[in-house]
Amino acid sequence: MAPTIHYYCPCQSGELLQTPPPPHMASSSASFHLLHSLFFCEECDAVRCNRCVAVEVSGYYCPNCLFEVPSASVRAEKNRCARNCFSCPICRSTLQVVASDPPDGGDGRPSASLSNVGEPPFFLYCNHCRWDSAEVGITFEKPTGLAAQLQKFEDSAPESLEFERLKEHFEPFLPAASAALARDVPGVGKYNPLARSRVGRDRTANKDEMPEYKSRMEISVLGQLGSEGDDSDVDALRRMENVEEIASLEQRWGNSWTTSLRTSDLKPLRIPLHSKVSKRCPTCRHILIKPEQKAQSVRYKIKLVAANYLPAITVGIPHASGTDTARRPQTKATGVSDDRNAGILTAGKSYPFHLALTNPLYDPIQVRLSVQRMHVTAVTDGTAPEKARRTPFAVSLPTSPFPVAAFAEAWEYDDDDDMFGLEDDDLGLDVGRSRDRDGKGKIKAVGVLEKRANVTVVGGEVVIGKEARGHVKFNMLVSYTYRSDDPLPSEDGAGTPSRTVVKSPEVKTFTFYTVVDLGPILPREEKIDPDI
Amino acid sequence: MPPIRDKFTIHSKAVVCQDVELKGDITIGPGTVVHPKATIFAIAGPIVIGSGCIIEEAAIIVNRRKEVMRVGDNNLFEIGCRVECPSIGNFNTISTRARVHHTVRIASYCVIGAACLVVPTDDETLDDYTSIFGPAAERRTWSGRGRVQEADLRLKHAEYLREMLPKFNRLRRGDGT
Repeated sequence: MAPTIHYYCPCQSGELLQTPPPPHMASSSASFHLLHSLFFCEECDAVRCNRCVAVEVSGYYCPNCLFEVPSASVRAEKNRCARNCFSCPICRSTLQVVASDPPDGGDGRPSASLSNVGEPPFFLYCNHCRWDSAEVGITFEKPTGLAAQLQKFEDSAPESLEFERLKEHFEPFLPAASAALARDVPGVGKYNPLARSRVGRDRTANKDEMPEYKSRMEISVLGQLGSEGDDSDVDALRRMENVEEIASLEQRWGNSWTTSLRTSDLKPLRIPLHSKVSKRCPTCRHILIKPEQKAQSVRYKIKLVAANYLPAITVGIPHASGTDTARRPQTKATGVSDDRNAGILTAGKSYPFHLALTNPLYDPIQVRLSVQRMHVTAVTDGTAPEKARRTPFAVSLPTSPFPVAAFAEAWEYDDDDDMFGLEDDDLGLDVGRSRDRDGKGKIKAVGVLEKRANVTVVGGEVVIGKEARGHVKFNMLVSYTYRSDDPLPSEDGAGTPSRTVVKSPEVKTFTFYTVVDLGPILPREEKIDPDI
Repeated sequence: MPPIRDKFTIHSKAVVCQDVELKGDITIGPGTVVHPKATIFAIAGPIVIGSGCIIEEAAIIVNRRKEVMRVGDNNLFEIGCRVECPSIGNFNTISTRARVHHTVRIASYCVIGAACLVVPTDDETLDDYTSIFGPAAERRTWSGRGRVQEADLRLKHAEYLREMLPKFNRLRRGDGT
């Protein structure tokens, strides 16, 4: 498993506590997110995640025809596309309206009279699985306006008629159709309160009494339409020949009413609408994300994502750890064995790792890293309690602040920093090409390893205890300072001469927590390694 | 293993581009279009391709059995597919990156969906109008509605390619030995 790094959003912790929870606890994963899913509020100078932002819908559209549906019709059309967009019940891809084949006079010879529009009856056809709606008996007379043609079918379904009858039955007993009920249940509220006066009998009767409701059809008949689990279903299952006859769960759970179990009864569904949302900061109500109004454009009018403000950090473990010769990569393709060896962290050894920080700002930044101390009280295996309380691993990181260059276009960087050819993986092994060497000739593992373009690679080291288990996860505090773009009030003549105003641009510091996961720890093998 | 002797019988009305890798005893019928970078290997036995077939780029048609591999008329082998069936009927579509094993015999009007692996361990014959789709290669039978329009589309496709490909690609002419 490749090492990962997640960023912390303080929304889950309390008001005062801004430090993240210990990462080895399972519940802490809720507060840590990947950088690409985080936002940044400029007013509050804070990281926001998807859980704490306030979301509001900015528009609805059909993913197939990309038609923007006004929000008033969304409720009327039950969140589905009202035009010709249907989804195949078998494979859930979009259906296409096709014409029937022309009657062929010969034996498959193409008849020259294939007109452009095609011949009725038209039906829906799935290009992916070759299902067509004529199998369930749905055909159309015209290739457009399918929704209207299908509406007649839907309205005469027994469930809809039953529902209408129920509404008519209860209508006299509603004092006034409340606005909320009218919104949620289409059809209620159409009735005029004056109509009630016709039912004179109800005024004299007790308000709590209600005549008994008689349904249109017998319940047992209705039960056969859906899968009520009674005898008709059992019979169908007994006569079943292969498992494809029963509709799978994925095919059935999108329906509003319970439908029958058989695959041959599945009907095409209208495509549900998607929505475009805009997101706001919960405290200052500043808009963080605002998409464009057009359905087909994927850009945003306002896009305040954390990746534009926070440095992106990637973690890597160089392959073939320098302290372990017994695990040298084999002679076959090194790419495969590198991946396998890179993820292995064995108890009792120490591993260097690399953190590459990429600066998104147009100003250079100074970064300082520090590991958050934490108490590890519980270890998974139930060995002797004294051993469990020892910290399973120790992490050392460079403590002094180091700079990361500003972001600029690729051609603006100087060529003397070799951008190509020097790979991080070689730094651990190859003595001759290391850039930072101290006087003893040993390769420095902890510290700034490389700087190129707007990326700085620093190395750290983790020493894993002999009895350690679980994952190597530690919280890391990253704080960086940069010069902000805000112009300072210039020194004008009104300033008192006794006070020296240092004309330096404002320096801002931002701090955030991350959790670095280097991977699982493998217990030490039994064979004796000569290195240890 | 005896060396593969190349013997290509390409109809004069077929359009075979020069970049195609052909090996072995191959017969290509009239009206067939073979795009550049396709591969037809008749390693152990001959391959006979019918008329009007369209073999797109990076398609691989391999015959590793001694018997003749017969491919019917008007089939479409889309990009990246790999076909080893001993017999294929007419008007089939083998979609992009699909793989069909040598244990399968395909009848007519079948559709093998994109990236589907049809690799049964035992010998199997796909009936007419079988459609295979989805990541799990589920099957269902096409009702056959719309086949005339599809056939018409296939013919128009092949006709267009026969007209356009020679304008932009060099063609292989004659028999190779």
